[in-house]
Amino acid sequence: MTAVTGYWNRLSLASRALLVLVPALLVLGGVATVALALLLPPLLDFLGANLGLVRFIIAATVIIVVTIPTAFVIIYMELKVIARMNLRVGPDRVGPFGAAQSVVHGLKVLSKEDYTPAGVDVSVFTLAPVAVFLTTIMSFLVIPFAPGLVAQDLNIALLYFFAIGGLNVVGLMMAGWASYNKYSLIGALRAAAQAISYEIPLTLSVVGVIILAGTMSTTAIVAQQSGSFLDWNVWKQPLALLVFFIAATAEANRTPLDMTEADQELVAGFATEYSGMRFGFFFFAEYVNVFVVSAIMVVLFFGGWTAPFDWPFPVQLALDPASLGIGLLFLIALAPVLGTVILALPFWLGSSRISTLQALLIGFVLFNVVAVAALLGWAFVSFDWVVGLFWMLAKSYVFVFVFVQMRATFPRVRIDQLMGFAWKWLLPAALLNIFVTAIAVSLVGKG
Amino acid sequence: MEGIWYVIGFAVAGVSFVFLTIGASWLISHRTKGSPLKGLPYESGIPTYGDTHGRFGVSYYIYALLFVAFDIEVVFIFLWALVVRDPIPGVLASMGIFIAVLLLGLAYAWRKGVLTWR
Repeated sequence: MTAVTGYWNRLSLASRALLVLVPALLVLGGVATVALALLLPPLLDFLGANLGLVRFIIAATVIIVVTIPTAFVIIYMELKVIARMNLRVGPDRVGPFGAAQSVVHGLKVLSKEDYTPAGVDVSVFTLAPVAVFLTTIMSFLVIPFAPGLVAQDLNIALLYFFAIGGLNVVGLMMAGWASYNKYSLIGALRAAAQAISYEIPLTLSVVGVIILAGTMSTTAIVAQQSGSFLDWNVWKQPLALLVFFIAATAEANRTPLDMTEADQELVAGFATEYSGMRFGFFFFAEYVNVFVVSAIMVVLFFGGWTAPFDWPFPVQLALDPASLGIGLLFLIALAPVLGTVILALPFWLGSSRISTLQALLIGFVLFNVVAVAALLGWAFVSFDWVVGLFWMLAKSYVFVFVFVQMRATFPRVRIDQLMGFAWKWLLPAALLNIFVTAIAVSLVGKG
Repeated sequence: MEGIWYVIGFAVAGVSFVFLTIGASWLISHRTKGSPLKGLPYESGIPTYGDTHGRFGVSYYIYALLFVAFDIEVVFIFLWALVVRDPIPGVLASMGIFIAVLLLGLAYAWRKGVLTWR
């Protein structure tokens, strides 16, 4: 056994991955082939009869897979934006403008030693990142990305969202308690105190929106804000937005309200004893949470997937690819070649220092850019849900940017100021907002 | 009813995703036992003093009590917010009285100084 362990430890990372992946893929591939051959017809019948199951599997897979690039993009934004605000360059080595830096970071965390210190309660210690990440994944269930593009349109969507968001603190407490480290414990208790204090204004601030909408369904709330940007809830509920934004910053543990991780005081708070991927999941969840909070803010106050204004030139594109018949085949075969040559020509003619091969390479890259842009433009014009997705993501990332920018702008507040602010200012403000809204609605009637 | 299956299914999917990733990381990562010092809690480099799970003064536990009171209030307000447009006699006044009682409690706690962090 020790010989095997010793051999394993001498291997490099790449050979380890190969050693694990190749046999695993071979076995899995063999099993999958046999299983498919035997089970395909009954499986297809079963899935055809249970389309709901297919929809669930697609929804769950897409949402879990989408969290990964979301986290990478936000980490890259954080590195680059904060660097620019500090008059630094930021990451610029891996990929164009350092864009692959966060991916490499993720892979690094994945391959690091995942150490379990001596004093910890191993099962709780391992389950804590699971609990934290789970709340993030489950919050995605009710976020509507486009018309029809929502995992499940619950009629209690908002209540569900805040209930699941509140479970986050359980994971932090588990991490702090199981770590057997005094800093972790203090960090976790502070996290609990902060999270439960800001939970109240956070949930109370959306009551105004619920009163206006008369429903808790997120898709219905977005649908009621359609029209121009003047129909957005932000104009009717400015105080609610302010309270929600501050409380959401605290709930997502973002600077200036990130007392749970306060590096200078508590080493790393609840995450002190963690390493490797279990540590990684805390931060994975934190960054995805930034997106979730921004997305729900857009849904509640900024009209979700609805466009802020009507497109001034309505583009009608009647393109039916099938009508081209055999011509379509020629088009598909010729377009890359022609596009590459045409786009390469200016470089080939314009500069004698660029060789033919280089010109062709540049032309090919440019053709890909143009083709992808054309494809996206076609999808944007042709499909409603692409337009919705575009506006939803654009608005969400504006608020992600604000969260990132805030981190570089504001100093961290003191814990006593933090707690006092929640109870003495935000809570009365949220209650005031509810009553003003309720009275206004009952005066105006069913407006 | 479909919604509850989605909630349960998402929980299962999320847990399996995290465990799969941690398992993959466990397979490709380097592990050593190290010296006994490696397993000590990281408390600024000095040997840990006393029992971490011993008695621990948390003077801000009152926040948790306040939280329970107001969280129940939130549940009622959410339901009330859905029917506030309906012509129910005293729909505003009843919730006003309910919140006023709670605010009285908050004012009492504030006066007693429990909202001040100690």
